[in-house]
Order: sequence, then C-alpha cells, then structure tokens
Amino acid sequence: MAEKQYGLVVDTKRCVGCHSCSVACKIENNLSAGVIWNRILTNGGASMDSAKGTFPNLSKHYIPMICQHCANPACTKACPVGATYKDITTGAVRQDYDLCIGCRMCMAACPYTGVRSFNWEEPTYTMDFAVGDINVPKHQKHVVEKCTLCYHKLSKGEEPICIDACISGARVFGDLNDPDDKVVNLISKRKYIQLLPERGTNPSVYYLV
Amino acid sequence: MTESTKKTSRSKGQMIAIIIAALIAAIGIGLWAYQLSAGFVNTNMRNLDSWGLYIINFMWFVGLSAGGMIISSAPKVFGAKGFGGISKVAVWVSICCTVLAVAFVLVDLGGPQRVWHLFAYANMSSPLMWDIIVLTLYLIISIVYLWAVLRLEKGKGSAKALRVLSAIALICAVMVHTVTAWIFGLLQARALWYTALLGPWFVSSALVSGLALVLIVVVALRKAGYLELKQENIVKMAKFLGIFMAVDLYFFACDLLTSGFPGAEGATIVAMLTTGALAPFFWTEIILSIIVLFVAFVPTLRTTSLVVCASALAVLAILCKRIQLLVGGFQIPNISYPTVLTGPELSGGGSSLASLSSSLVYVPSPLEFGIVIGVLGLGALLLLLGIRLLPLKPAAEDN
Ligand code: SF4
Repeated sequence: MAEKQYGLVVDTKRCVGCHSCSVACKIENNLSAGVIWNRILTNGGASMDSAKGTFPNLSKHYIPMICQHCANPACTKACPVGATYKDITTGAVRQDYDLCIGCRMCMAACPYTGVRSFNWEEPTYTMDFAVGDINVPKHQKHVVEKCTLCYHKLSKGEEPICIDACISGARVFGDLNDPDDKVVNLISKRKYIQLLPERGTNPSVYYLV
Repeated sequence: MTESTKKTSRSKGQMIAIIIAALIAAIGIGLWAYQLSAGFVNTNMRNLDSWGLYIINFMWFVGLSAGGMIISSAPKVFGAKGFGGISKVAVWVSICCTVLAVAFVLVDLGGPQRVWHLFAYANMSSPLMWDIIVLTLYLIISIVYLWAVLRLEKGKGSAKALRVLSAIALICAVMVHTVTAWIFGLLQARALWYTALLGPWFVSSALVSGLALVLIVVVALRKAGYLELKQENIVKMAKFLGIFMAVDLYFFACDLLTSGFPGAEGATIVAMLTTGALAPFFWTEIILSIIVLFVAFVPTLRTTSLVVCASALAVLAILCKRIQLLVGGFQIPNISYPTVLTGPELSGGGSSLASLSSSLVYVPSPLEFGIVIGVLGLGALLLLLGIRLLPLKPAAEDN
C-alpha cells in the first residue's frame, strides 16, 4: 500500500453542477482544445442538467468525475512500459508522457468512462500563450493523459486546483490512509458511494450521498 | 504449351504479383507516415473507442497464424500421419501472418519511434507485454522450425530434435492465442471481454481461421501446379475445420448463456450482440458458421471448390467475431450519465453516450482501411517471396 493515499470526498448534496472545477482544471493544467480531465455528470434525466421523474417527484444530482486514483488501479498493471504508475508517496496514479508509447492499453483497462484521454493530434490551444502552472508537463501528441491530482501542487504541499475552485465547498481533499484526516472523518460519518465498486479497483474518490 | 514455357509464364505472373504487392505495401507505408504526421484524428478511433480496425486485424491475424503451425507440428509431435507435404508452405503462411499481426500493433501505436521502450522499460505485469514476448518467441520458433524441417529433408539434423522442436512450437502456438486473449480477457473494465473462456475461445477461433487459410492457400497452390496434394488430405482438413468450428460455436453459446442468464449486466451484452448494434456481425457469423459445418460434415458436399468456399466463409466468420469482440468491448460505456463530450471523446462528436446503444460506436475511417490494405500488401509480398525463393515444395515422397 502507498504510504499516503490522497483522495477526494465529493459531497453530492453540495455540488450544484457549475463546472467551475472543470474549468479551473482546464486552465491550471493548460489543457489543449477539446481535452477535459474533470467533467460533471448529471445523474438525472436523459440530458445534461435535466431531472429524472415527473413533477413533483423529481431527482437530480451531479457526479463530478476525475481519474479515481484507485488504490488498486487497473491501468498501471496493463501499461506495457510503466508509463502510468502509482506514486508511492502520494498514492496518485501518474502518467509519464515521455515514456508512453501510445498503445492505449490503459484506456481499455480503465473502467471509468472518459477519464483517460489520448491526444489524437498535435495539441492546439484556444489561447496563443500557455496558461496555468508553469510546472505542468508539456502536452504531447499521441500519448495518453489524464488528471494528475495536480501533482505539481501536491509536491509543494498544496491541494489540487479543483478543491480551491469549487464554489460550494463540495470537494474535500486529504489522505485516506490517515485516520485523523478530514476525509476519513467525513466518510466515517456520512453515507457514501464509490463508482463501480464491483470492479475491485477501490477508487480514491468518495461521493457523499 | 511446352513444360518450359508454362514455367516461364508462371514465373512471370509471380513477378508481376510481387511487384503489385510491393507497391501496395509501399503505399501503405506512405499512409502510415501520414497518420503519424497528420495525427490519429484521421482515424475514427477516439477516447471512448480507443482501439479499432488495427486491433481487430491484429486479433484476426494472430488467429490466422495458428493453422499452419499447428497443422504441421501436431502430427509430428504425436507421431501421426500428417496432411501430406504441405507442412512447409503451411508454416510459411503462419510466419507471414505473425509478421502481419505484429505490423498491425505497430501501426496502432501512437509513438512507434518509442517502441524500444518496450524492451528498456518493460512492465512485466502487462498482458500486452506478455503477448509481445510470446509473439516474438513464436516468430523465432516458427522460423527455426521451418529451417529444421528443410535441413532434415537434406538429411542433416536429427528427426528426434525436430520432434522436440515441434512440441515446443505447438505449445507456443497455443500460448500465443491464449495470451492474446488475455490482453482483453484480463481487463475487468469491459464486461464483454472479462471472461475466463476468452483464452480457450481464442484458441478455437484461431484453429478455425488458421486451418481455413491453409486450405485456401494449398488448394490455390495445387491449382497453380506448385504442389500436389491428395484429395483425401483436403477432406481430412475439411473435417477438422468442421470440428474446430463446432467447438468455437459451442464456446460462444456457453458464453452467451452465462452472460445472459442472470439478466444483469451481461444481458445488455447479449442484447447488443443479438439485436443491438452488433447484430449484423453476430448473425453473419452464425449463418456463415452453419454453412461451414454443413460443408464439413456432409460427405457429398466436400468437393474441393465447396471446401475452399467454406474455408473463405470460415475466415470471414471469425473476422465478424473479432469485430463483435473489439467494438462490443467499447460499445456499452460503464458510466453513461449525460455530460460534456468533445471531439476527442467520440468520432460522432457531440452525440451522447446514452444514444449509442442503437448505432455503432466506431466505424473505421478511409485512412484506416488504406493502412490495413497496405499491411495486407506486405503480407502478400512476404508470402509470394517465400514461395518464390524458399524451397517450400513438398518432397516427392510425402505427397
Ligand atoms: S497508452 Fe501509454 S500509458 Fe497507456 S498503456 Fe500504453 S504506453 Fe502505457
């Protein structure tokens, strides 16, 4: 087991589906056109932001989705060159663009739909200057990328950008291996779900319901 | 025509075929270069269907490579009577198919210039790594095996050593298909793939398509006067084809029932195959397979031309199955809540995940077809060169 397992607790009762975290992530990591690492799913009706059921029995909540930084990741075992690997000190699942040969085995192995993203062409950007943190690795053509848990910030002792960006305090970051941490406290008090628990990956993103 | 003019005209025809094949392969290489420089956006693979025609062909050709090796090594291992003198041609077909399988992985890579990473940074827990290792071994063993057979014919080397080599080659052939299946079958992410049956099932499909391919090639070569082959050997191979096909269908039936019976997640998969987006491929496979069974098992139908037709249908049936497997793996997203989808996610950019169930998640682009044809050209080139340059003709006594 990793010494630490950083992870997220997302309070779905608080999330209002504003996509602020998604936008902040895109800017912080200077994501190229079309690439999204953090997306907001609507658990409700057939289209985004719609509710399920008929009035007055309506229900809707949001599921912000990022790489789940699983405790038992499927992707790291599958990668033939170890370009995606579990970071021992933080428990983050990392991606080494310089090593990746673009075979996309990890994309087939990851059960979490849409989390991994391949650069199908030379990255292009909406703005003609780089945005976000200077320490973010440069995006490359024909390699797989995904949420890094803002590794560049973790290494400075900071939290991922999506935590700061959340307008409703729905996202909480912490070490799931530390019994005194606030995230552990939250999941011990509140009812939570993990996504696709039956796949046995033990994701590090917990959703309070 | 005298014997010698017949020979020269045949060799002239061969030369033309070799040149055409080389041209097609060269165009393929050009298209591949284009794919790498202009980007994979020119394929129709996207994040949610991240493998496509190349990997379909990879699976298909790994399977096709089985026949030759198994047909020629199995009788030697068990000391049984073989299928006549076709074993060398059969092994050559096998080698060509293995090379093509590797080529299909290569054209699927985003960074082929980094392929050396596979050796420098090998991650031994990856089924893809295992497959690369067994495929390489298989290729080497096939070549050594062919070389040993040729040497033995010249009276060099020992028959016993060849028999041991046959056993190793046979085991390796079975492993290649199993490990290729594991690339898919060990991924719990895709419900269609994640089954223990996938390994044995790949072996049976490989036997079907591989044997069928060998049948087509040897009948064609007999027609061209390259080799002679007794009809009884063709009949014997046709019977085996039928048996392998029956086993393959049996596995399919077992798998469908096990998936569908609980009525849970697997039931959507059964529906996708039988009535959903992949139904055309499913039913084509079933119908073709049944025709093959008839030809193989009804004695009066086992004429050479029908056997060749049935072989072609068997190869196509397995292609249909590869398509179902690959596309089917991506067809049903695990998490399909509505969300923002952009161009890199789906080739039909903007379409929603939930609406996918009725239409195919992936249809290859023209570039992908072009590259596949190029790789096939390379295969034809190898095959023809082997036939022209290597002494693959049966030795007189074992016709
Ligand atoms: S695409 Fe890159 S990270 Fe993913 S499995 Fe292949 S080499 Fe590894």
